[in-house]
Amino acid sequence: MAAAIETRELVKDYRSPLKEPGLWGGVKSLFHREYKDTRAVDGVSFRIDEGELVGFLGPNGAGKTTTLKMLSGLLTPTSGRATALGFTPWNREPSFQRSISLVMGQRSQLWWEIPAYETLRLNQAIYGLSEAEFRSHLDELVDLLELREHLFVPVKKLSLGQRMRAELAAALLHRPRLLLLDEPTIGLDVVMQKKVREFIKAYNARYGATIMLTSHNMTDVVELCRRVIVIDKGRILYDGSLDRLVESHADYKILRARFSKAVDATGLETIGKIVKIGAFDVTLEIPRARMAAGATALLSSYPVADLNVEDVAIDDIIRRLFTRS
Amino acid sequence: MRPLIVKYGRIWMRTASMAMQAQLSYRLGSFGFLLGKMIRLFFFFAFMAAVFQHVEQVAGYSLVETALFFMTFNLVDMSAQILFRGVYGARRTVSEGDFDFYLVQPCSPLFRITCSTVDFLDMVTILPVIVMTGMVFARLPAMGWERHALYWLLIFNAVALIYAIHVLVAGLAVRTQELESAIWIYRDVMFMGKFPVDVYAPSVRHALTFVIPIAVMTTFPAKAFLGRLSTMWIAYAFAVTAAALPLSCLYWNRSVARYTSSSS
Amino acid sequence: MKKYLIAYSIALQETLQRRSTLIMDRLGGFAVVISLYSFWIALIGDKSSFLGYSRSEMLTYVLLLNILRSFVFAGRGWQLVGEISSGRISSYLVRPISYHGYALSLDLAQKSVHLVSAILEVSLLAALVRGQLFIPADPATWLLFTASVVVSSLLFFFLEFLVSSLAFWTSESGGPLFCFELFLQFAAGAFFPLDVLPEGLRRALEITPFPYMVYFPIRLFLQKITPAQALHLLTLETAWLFAVAAAALFVWRRGVRSYAAEGG
Repeated sequence: MAAAIETRELVKDYRSPLKEPGLWGGVKSLFHREYKDTRAVDGVSFRIDEGELVGFLGPNGAGKTTTLKMLSGLLTPTSGRATALGFTPWNREPSFQRSISLVMGQRSQLWWEIPAYETLRLNQAIYGLSEAEFRSHLDELVDLLELREHLFVPVKKLSLGQRMRAELAAALLHRPRLLLLDEPTIGLDVVMQKKVREFIKAYNARYGATIMLTSHNMTDVVELCRRVIVIDKGRILYDGSLDRLVESHADYKILRARFSKAVDATGLETIGKIVKIGAFDVTLEIPRARMAAGATALLSSYPVADLNVEDVAIDDIIRRLFTRS
Repeated sequence: MRPLIVKYGRIWMRTASMAMQAQLSYRLGSFGFLLGKMIRLFFFFAFMAAVFQHVEQVAGYSLVETALFFMTFNLVDMSAQILFRGVYGARRTVSEGDFDFYLVQPCSPLFRITCSTVDFLDMVTILPVIVMTGMVFARLPAMGWERHALYWLLIFNAVALIYAIHVLVAGLAVRTQELESAIWIYRDVMFMGKFPVDVYAPSVRHALTFVIPIAVMTTFPAKAFLGRLSTMWIAYAFAVTAAALPLSCLYWNRSVARYTSSSS
Repeated sequence: MKKYLIAYSIALQETLQRRSTLIMDRLGGFAVVISLYSFWIALIGDKSSFLGYSRSEMLTYVLLLNILRSFVFAGRGWQLVGEISSGRISSYLVRPISYHGYALSLDLAQKSVHLVSAILEVSLLAALVRGQLFIPADPATWLLFTASVVVSSLLFFFLEFLVSSLAFWTSESGGPLFCFELFLQFAAGAFFPLDVLPEGLRRALEITPFPYMVYFPIRLFLQKITPAQALHLLTLETAWLFAVAAAALFVWRRGVRSYAAEGG
């Protein structure tokens, strides 16, 4: 399988001006400025094949947006190399730009006061789409995104969900082979998040596009991505399948039980580690290997009304990854 | 080459049309701006006319000649406004993230920044300017076609020079994300171009010819038309633009290379 | 009271922090001053006076203009319009601070910086030109001048507030504000002494509060009006101030009431 993206030791440093507090600091800043250097991305290397749908996870300031921006050609790295679709992104060749799209959840390329359709027309001119291409691409997107009536209303009159879908239409009009999505579901309600996720999945399936997405929303990642790259403080902490992440970092499972009568907690400690306990319920952490035995023990010795066995929440796993780093 | 011109022409038409639609949704605001621009134009003209009630000539120029200078200024200034208005909002374009989109899309980001907010009001305001200029020309003695040609060549040269300045300012906006006022100082200094630079003291005149070449932009075309500009100066005018354009483009490229993009 | 002082201090720091913006603003204003002065000197030519202004009086007029522009006209109308239309103003309205007091503190901070800069520029220009400045000897003149400048500044503050408050009812108040500011500058004598205008026009303007803001204080300084007349005009100006302030506050209250907090 051909590589869609390949990066090697990408590094990006930022400079920001420092300001001394107080009035005197203000006057001084008229004459002399000091700067602070921050390393946002610190030697990031990975390889993504064509058609993959990869999740890029990390806390705020971890470097995910910066990496995405470098891959789209927006930023030039301080050092390191990368190729995307065979091009060096920051050379910004038009053929490269015609094959990619960068969608930023908190920013919009749609013009506010006029219908989204106009921005689509503009993009048609920018990407050099013929009338036929424009029509057919648009029709498909309108179907997938359920946008028919919303395209002709001024963008400022659309709801957030409608705006996001129109944004996606504008971003994908030229049918890019590589999609870079930065927080695409941020601020959307649950129903809309699902719609966007379904669209992304459909786009990936229908056109075989390579998709890299960042999100704080775990559901996005779990539903869409089989592979995740976890990044913190500019370094990759994990790169691989989501399932293996769960398995390797959580060698235990969660058992929740509800009782029909108040129970004595002392015996519960032998079954597993108590995370939470109430009068009628308990949450235990039990090592995977001993889960069956633990569940059996609980059922036989206690008046269990309801029992649930769950995997450790991905949020928790990831959080542990970060705190450990 | 040709397909490129067609493509950019199409993009310009689209953005101009979109900008116009966006503006039309703001009727009160548009009316206010239009009225303001008209006020500025007519008041200044009235002021000049009023001044000449009291004097015969200013710095060796009669009323009609001074009017020619003023109208030339307007022609040049407004053409530049129509074409390069986007640079005035460059800082906002950058800070709000639109510039990020320009960089990722297959269209020159410089083009997008300078041409993205065509103000159709400017296209409306330039109409009385053209009419008034015609009236001024009617009152001037007839000149040979070479003078007219020279006049328009120098106007074209002026607009190109202004373009170079706008490119420089755009580069500043991208690089520092702070110097929004760089373009406003240009506008303020342009104010000085409303008068023929001969009225200014020699030191100021030199500054306006060599440091910030406003004289080249606004005074030279009219002066050449009136036959008061030597060939040396005419050559200088074209030389300045020929030097400024590549330099400013170089600066722009360098600024974009160092661009750090506003963080989310 | 302390909170206004703190607001003042913070705004002062902020203005100084944005040093490039500050420098650009000042340089721009300086360019306008030079233009006007040069034009007037060219107008005077060989004569001893023009429109009743001697050379030194003309120089003083223009220099005072620069100072007054910084003190009277540097306003926050645009910020106010922005804050209303974006909804940011809601956060101020719920705090135990009078928005007017707050805005005034911010305004004063901005003006302080601009004033200091203006005085420096003017001193520089006066030294460069080696011109004679007209300095009145009579302390009464200075007193009245200072008083009129303070009133003018407040008058502009409330006038701008009045027009900016349109933002409560329409999102398009930028247009009217722009128009208003331009018209004001002409009518107040901030571009040229109103003596230039024909009699009828001047009388018409004198009914409005505008000439009081720049034209009147400068004429006072140049001792072209007697202290008695000055006092009379000052009283009129103060009356205007109260009228405008009352109108501004009234419109403001109405605006806040009808204001549906947007944004978010």
